[in-house]
Amino acid sequence: MQKLPETPLRYQEEGNVHLDFHGAVNTTIDFIVERYGVEVLHEIFAKVGRDVYVDLRRHMLEGHPEEMVRHWRHFFARENADYDIAVSEDEIVLTVRRCTAYHHVAKISPSVSAHFCDQTTKVNEAIAEGTPYRIDTEITGPGACRQIIRRRA
Amino acid sequence: MIPSDHFTRFYNEVFKFLESKGQEDLDLYWLEISKNQEKHILDLIRTKGLQGMYEYWSVIEEEENCELDLMVDDEHLELHMHGCPSLAKVMDNDAAPMTRYCDHCAGWIGPIMDKTGYHLVYDVISRTEPRCVMRIFKDVEKAKEAEKSVQLLMGWPGKKAAT
Repeated sequence: MQKLPETPLRYQEEGNVHLDFHGAVNTTIDFIVERYGVEVLHEIFAKVGRDVYVDLRRHMLEGHPEEMVRHWRHFFARENADYDIAVSEDEIVLTVRRCTAYHHVAKISPSVSAHFCDQTTKVNEAIAEGTPYRIDTEITGPGACRQIIRRRA
Repeated sequence: MIPSDHFTRFYNEVFKFLESKGQEDLDLYWLEISKNQEKHILDLIRTKGLQGMYEYWSVIEEEENCELDLMVDDEHLELHMHGCPSLAKVMDNDAAPMTRYCDHCAGWIGPIMDKTGYHLVYDVISRTEPRCVMRIFKDVEKAKEAEKSVQLLMGWPGKKAAT
């Protein structure tokens, strides 16, 4: 990978974080799945990946998956998650041991939606769609996962 | 994880989908979000009234990085939003904003005020400017009087906007 000069992320954020938004995401996921089905939920997440994260997609298309690493570091640090990122020649692996979003929802909501982690899986897929890379998401436990970027075969 | 910082851009995509289904679908969603929000604000209102609302929006001011002025007296609460981060993020977005994005605020707050016996007057001013004025009254007549001077009055499920 060729190293890019450091510029602010497209959606760089400063200031405080409002974790209760994750509770609203959880409520929204259940609302959409119950009324319209899981395919509609996945299409909404795909739109987030394709239409909101245009800049991340552009970096992936241009052969710069390291922008995803910067994105992960920025936002997982802001939310004080327990994670690490291993970058090798063949793959980039984000290991999330404690996802702040999942555990905050578990604390404030009656239950965490069975589809809560679909936001990660489906947004990742959409960011990588049509690019030389895949992003595979493996859920490894409650509020834990591995997200792996690999060049497509 | 969609970062909590990016929630509003996800919310925007949800609104666009629901708008394509119709107003009733949007109303049902706002009622669901309103129900979700009850766990954060309902006890404060029931135990402390307007002062409880002041406490709730003081936390929001800080956690959501809002530029706002908040005041409360024995009769009403008044919030002047000068820089709404929610709309600002939706407009600073590679995806198109939902044209009635602002409507969701009254959409979830209004039903809670109806439930607790308060009267909401929500002036969005303009749906493309990240500012608004929210007033909440104990007295319905004072709320009706305040409605006369708004620029863009918001309704919510169960209450159509007067203008």
